[in-house]
Amino acid sequence: MQSGRLLLRKAWSALLTIGFVLVLNFFLFRVLPGDPARAGIKDPRMTRAAQIAIHQRFGLDKPVLNCLASLNPLRRGPCLVNPLQTQLFIYINNLLHGELGISYHNKIPVGELVRARLWNTAVLVSAGQALAIVLGIAGGVLAAWQAHTRIDYAALITSLVAWSMPTFWLGLILLFWGSRYAGLPIGGQHTPGLAAAGTVDQLRDAVRHLVLPTLTQTIIYLAEYLLIMRSTMLDVLAEDYILTAKAKGLSTFQVLKDHALRNAALPIITIVALNLGFTVAGAVQIEAVFSWPGLGQAIYESVARRDYPVLQGAFLLLAISVIVANLLADLLYTWLDPRVQAPA
Amino acid sequence: MSAAPANMWRNAARNRLVLAGAGMLLFALGLAMFAPLLAPEDPRRALLATTYTIYAAPDGQHWLGTDDAGRDVLSNLIFGARVSLTVGFFASFISVAIGGSIGMAAGYLGGATDRALMRFTDVVLVIPDLPLAIVLVALTKPSLFNIILVIGLVGWTGTARLVRAQTLAVKERKFVHRARAVGASDLRLITRHIFPMVLPLLVVNTVLVTSLAILEESALSFLGLSDPTNVSWGQMLNYAFSRGATSSGAWWALLAPGAGIVWVVLGCTLLGYGLEQILNPRVKSHHLMRASIPRISAVQSASPAEAEAHALLEVRGLSVDFVAQQGTVHAVQGVSFSLRPGEIMGLVGESGCGKTTLILSLLRLLPAAGRITAGQVLYHGRNLLALPEAQLAAVRWKELAIVFQGAMNALNPLLPVGRQIAEAVERHEPSATAAAVAQRVGALLEQVGIPAARGRQFAHQYSGGMRQRAMIAMALACNPKVIIADEPTTALDVIIQAQILELLNALRKELGLAVIFVTHDLGVVAEICDTVLVMYGGVAAEYAPVNAVFNEPQHPYTHALLAAFPDFSRRHKALVSIPGQPPRLHALPPGCRFAPRCSSAQALCHAHQPHLLRVGADHYASCHLLQPMLPAGSPLPQPA
Repeated sequence: MQSGRLLLRKAWSALLTIGFVLVLNFFLFRVLPGDPARAGIKDPRMTRAAQIAIHQRFGLDKPVLNCLASLNPLRRGPCLVNPLQTQLFIYINNLLHGELGISYHNKIPVGELVRARLWNTAVLVSAGQALAIVLGIAGGVLAAWQAHTRIDYAALITSLVAWSMPTFWLGLILLFWGSRYAGLPIGGQHTPGLAAAGTVDQLRDAVRHLVLPTLTQTIIYLAEYLLIMRSTMLDVLAEDYILTAKAKGLSTFQVLKDHALRNAALPIITIVALNLGFTVAGAVQIEAVFSWPGLGQAIYESVARRDYPVLQGAFLLLAISVIVANLLADLLYTWLDPRVQAPA
Repeated sequence: MSAAPANMWRNAARNRLVLAGAGMLLFALGLAMFAPLLAPEDPRRALLATTYTIYAAPDGQHWLGTDDAGRDVLSNLIFGARVSLTVGFFASFISVAIGGSIGMAAGYLGGATDRALMRFTDVVLVIPDLPLAIVLVALTKPSLFNIILVIGLVGWTGTARLVRAQTLAVKERKFVHRARAVGASDLRLITRHIFPMVLPLLVVNTVLVTSLAILEESALSFLGLSDPTNVSWGQMLNYAFSRGATSSGAWWALLAPGAGIVWVVLGCTLLGYGLEQILNPRVKSHHLMRASIPRISAVQSASPAEAEAHALLEVRGLSVDFVAQQGTVHAVQGVSFSLRPGEIMGLVGESGCGKTTLILSLLRLLPAAGRITAGQVLYHGRNLLALPEAQLAAVRWKELAIVFQGAMNALNPLLPVGRQIAEAVERHEPSATAAAVAQRVGALLEQVGIPAARGRQFAHQYSGGMRQRAMIAMALACNPKVIIADEPTTALDVIIQAQILELLNALRKELGLAVIFVTHDLGVVAEICDTVLVMYGGVAAEYAPVNAVFNEPQHPYTHALLAAFPDFSRRHKALVSIPGQPPRLHALPPGCRFAPRCSSAQALCHAHQPHLLRVGADHYASCHLLQPMLPAGSPLPQPA
């Protein structure tokens, strides 16, 4: 009961944040310099009439916000009577209908474009994250259990060094090594011209393309998860209930599995969830190195093209993925920690 | 978070991680400042050279080879430190200034301001840093100034949240309330009282923010968003990557700039990690660290055959040391006692006298720093100190169970209480069916007055008394022969206390349970104990049957303890507290440990430690002023 109300409040708060992000996002791409009609669709041969047509087509002839124009002392004009005719309203209205706009560059719906790219990024991110979570937690537990031994110090130093590496550079180094000495592909999702090959061959090819980006992702996040897990675990293992469990005659493995792991998992869940939201954004570096057609690449390309609708859509999606990941963390936390469900 | 700022800086100078990190950063700073003197070539002038080789391998002329345009990689590397450090320094300054102000304002002002500021922080937080920075830098102009500004403006959210939390915590401290009560203004409160307490945290955070800013700058440069007039490490990697370093096999052009980034970021990471350690010192040991192995020679010195015939548990000359930074601490020295079935032994003494250490060492549950240096723990004649870990684990709880002090922390908060009891049964009776275990758990809970259904609940749903009783139920789970109860009734109200004592007493009668009862409460001792072991400063001061201790106390410390305890049968007697403090175990007096507080201490007492003497039939005390009843042949071993 209690936890249901708590979650409802969290969900409401998340919705509110999404609302604010939406508005902030909208204004961000209208405050930034570079008129899309001139910069993005720039063509010296374009007539004035054509420009106006483009403006009309993307709704850019409408005022951004009803009275924003009237605030400008140089262009003081009357407020537009109908607030439904402002860009902000049209934008929000379209969003509610699931339309993210049309890409300036290739004229396809942003929703379609972004969805396909997000899927690619998710494929790239999920394997690496899954590996990093499992290995990071295992490594953290091992290091904490063996605290202040050689194993612990080795894990600690390795993690600190790995944490200090820029993602793209680790990718570069792995790319250099993998392509020269391990015969792995240098990038992309699949080898061109393999469409005719059998399913097994296609699958093997896809996996081979995933190895290096996944490895990069794994190493970077493994370090972070290991460090967090180690420090949480050290605290948990010093708790009195661990001594109780040991006094009961439980083996070290049982104590770790049944008493320490779950208590130590609570803090790391929040961090993993927060990271899951951000890894999609962080994938921009890996995608650049391995020419992976993900959302990060889409953002990068769209910046050069001043394709604001795509950027706007991508940012909204990224923000929502972070918010949803946080909400999921709260959900999981409630499920794992009885103290949240039924306070004393 | 409790470390005072002044202390923090002093400790920082001694922390190895801090020194290493600061050293690495200073080295990079030196390179950046003296780049024109140190670099073999000026990276800008190199392009004008008439003859050059692209991607020349490292040799005597170019220690780190050349890049795609024939420039000296080493020179670029040295000059590149300038951009990294400049961006790191200024961007983190902006981030921390914004985040710190927002966090402190939100935490200090609270209410609607807090909600608005935190909502704003959340909104900015969920928009990912790097894509936002890419857009902002690309759409303005990738000058050094813009890069610094953008990285600074997107990276403050973490700081804001951290500083808000700390401000909230500090705001409620006593000294802030006091300052407000005497009429300090808001500004004064913030600058003089709150900011100094937030500062240490802010410094650690600044180091982290700096490393993130440096990583972000390198990513931006790598993606082509760098100031073209300044060589930076990310930019070098961008050129190398996009201009065929991989296919040319020019590893040096990829390795060197990355090493530069890792060097600086690792410097920050180590510095931050070290400072964090100082700010939040962690316990050095935990319960699963490899237990110290008792010295085998001491352990095997006496043969089990010598064990007292009736004794269930016999402890002989047990000594425990703690290895601490200040030196070795003799926490327990030469303590001996024996316990018959159905006997309750009271273990009394002031806090810090080694009582808990003594009972933990019986089952080798000491923290890693604790070392059993001598003695035997004979259970049915079997020395528990010499048992292999696996065999000892089978004895734990099955034969000797412990009711831990402070049941709130001794119960796992995430497991139902019943499950924690069931676990003990399952461990020691693997053949028991699930139904049998469940029934047993229910019966155990009922036995201590807890409805069986509440076994499904968690510790936080229990009252303090219930937790303590649940702990007792758990201790009884495997029908042990000995229960060690460490202050099981402290912090409980009188009625519950009486119930628990009654329960223990009943069990002793029904099951022949032997109990070691650790307590401060001499009234309880008089009521239920058969024998009493008085500990002082890690040694046994007096060990005797309960009547002897109360009616003919021999040791001055026992006298003093009794005089300090209210006795309603002699209501006109004044209470006399014992002057001074129990000895700190790492600075024990050379002679008798009680001598500094003893009213009848002689010169001898300050010079030599007394042995445990037999002063009556079953009465032992360690005091120079007493006459031994038998000069030799004491059945208990002499303390080492």
